[in-house]
Amino acid sequence: MIQIYNLTKSYQKDASALKDLTLRIPKGDFVYITGPSGAGKSTLLKLLYAAEKPTRGQILIDGKNLTRMNTKKIAMVRRRLGIVFQDFKLINTRSIFENVAFPLEVQGKKRYEVSSKVYQALKHVGLEHKLKKYPLELSGGEQQRIAIARALVIDPQILIADEPTGNLDPEVTLEIMDLFKSANARGTTILLATHDREMIRCFPRRTLSLDHGQLVEDRMF
Amino acid sequence: MRKLIYFIARALRNMRQSPFLCTAAVSTVMVALVILAFFAMVVLNIEQLTRTWSQEVQVTAYFAAVPGADDARQIASQIRAFPEVSDVDYTNPRQAYDKFKHRLGEDADVLEGMKKDFLPASLSISLQERFRNRVGIKTVVERLRQDPHFSDLRYAQDWLVKFEAFLALLHVGGVVLGGFLLFAALFIVSNTIKLTLFARRDELEVMALVGGTPGFIKTPFLVEGALQGAVGGGLALLLSYGFFQFYLKEDLSHLLIASGVGKIEFLPPLWQLSLVATGTALGLIGSFLSLRKLVRI
Repeated sequence: MIQIYNLTKSYQKDASALKDLTLRIPKGDFVYITGPSGAGKSTLLKLLYAAEKPTRGQILIDGKNLTRMNTKKIAMVRRRLGIVFQDFKLINTRSIFENVAFPLEVQGKKRYEVSSKVYQALKHVGLEHKLKKYPLELSGGEQQRIAIARALVIDPQILIADEPTGNLDPEVTLEIMDLFKSANARGTTILLATHDREMIRCFPRRTLSLDHGQLVEDRMF
Repeated sequence: MRKLIYFIARALRNMRQSPFLCTAAVSTVMVALVILAFFAMVVLNIEQLTRTWSQEVQVTAYFAAVPGADDARQIASQIRAFPEVSDVDYTNPRQAYDKFKHRLGEDADVLEGMKKDFLPASLSISLQERFRNRVGIKTVVERLRQDPHFSDLRYAQDWLVKFEAFLALLHVGGVVLGGFLLFAALFIVSNTIKLTLFARRDELEVMALVGGTPGFIKTPFLVEGALQGAVGGGLALLLSYGFFQFYLKEDLSHLLIASGVGKIEFLPPLWQLSLVATGTALGLIGSFLSLRKLVRI
């Protein structure tokens, strides 16, 4: 369960990227966060994975207040999150296997456990045969599937995706959405920021619309 | 232990993955430490040279009248008991004549017709190493002046003033220049490591986003810095030893032997260890400073 109370983020004195946002996202939900560029979608996600600190307000994940945590506790929360970016953020000097194994390595998992989980995650996104390749040897769609495999390899409670299909073809977008839906079916809460109305129309789910940092619509399906 | 092995393995893998930056960091440490090693070698050898020179610091006390053999022995042993004195050597008039004649060499014929005991008897008083300075000499001379057996005392006061000024300059210069070199090396090493971190900023960011704790993220880079520093220090030691063996030992010794140094010495073992330890510390501190500035988690 994610609870957000009166969340405000200001980068400059007079302009707020997010203004007084309050909402609840139950466990296992699939939520789109939409709105035009500059609406505050990415800011909200950054606050959720604690890459930014709010100016005001509280964020509670499973009852624990993220805004009052030190860096070590934030690291522990992030171990339960999967994060997917528009620009993938894969490490180009590491192989596909190493990229997907990275979150498990950080958690200090044993080698045999890492190997089996990485293989399963890559199989799930259909790229198990590419594990020895390097990110720059893959297409954009494949790189995003690897980024999703990296996010899912830890069986996250919450998957946060910031414009994950922004750079991809419509066919690849369908494949990526299938991956998110199957993760959601396994119980992962999905938060997906997008300004792609077509995607929301094809896969209708709860949609939070932001504009100028404010929640203008919370539409349920 | 498992964690330490993991951190070392990751540091080694990072070094393997960025060979150019790794080489740059190691080379920077190496060059800085080679300069430092040469500087230390020069200071150490000059110190060795001054020790040789300082052996010349002695007081010559001339007897007013030639003492009997027993008296000379007794007076010498009294002076030998001074805490500042290391050795006392009695020279009778005949020995003084022989030494003088030997020193005159080809001009020794000027002594023809002179009596062989016309020179005064004397005591050559050598001082302990720590008293070979103005204060030590002054203490001994003042004590000898009160002894009526002696008519004259000779010691190189002017030379001592210059010698002490030179030693002071050497020590101050050594500390200032050595400190400056170390600081410059730290600055360069820190910036080189900053470059390696900058090249891996994506990796650092991803590491933080997937739940890496600050310690987990930073430790491999600290280990990497320390390893690069240690390798740089080791290479600096090898390089300066090679240079010493094939160049300095021969050529510089010709120059310095003329100044009284027996032979040119390489850094003693403790200094060699210190050089590698300094390299390790440079890498470690350099990494630490860069991480503090560059990695905000």
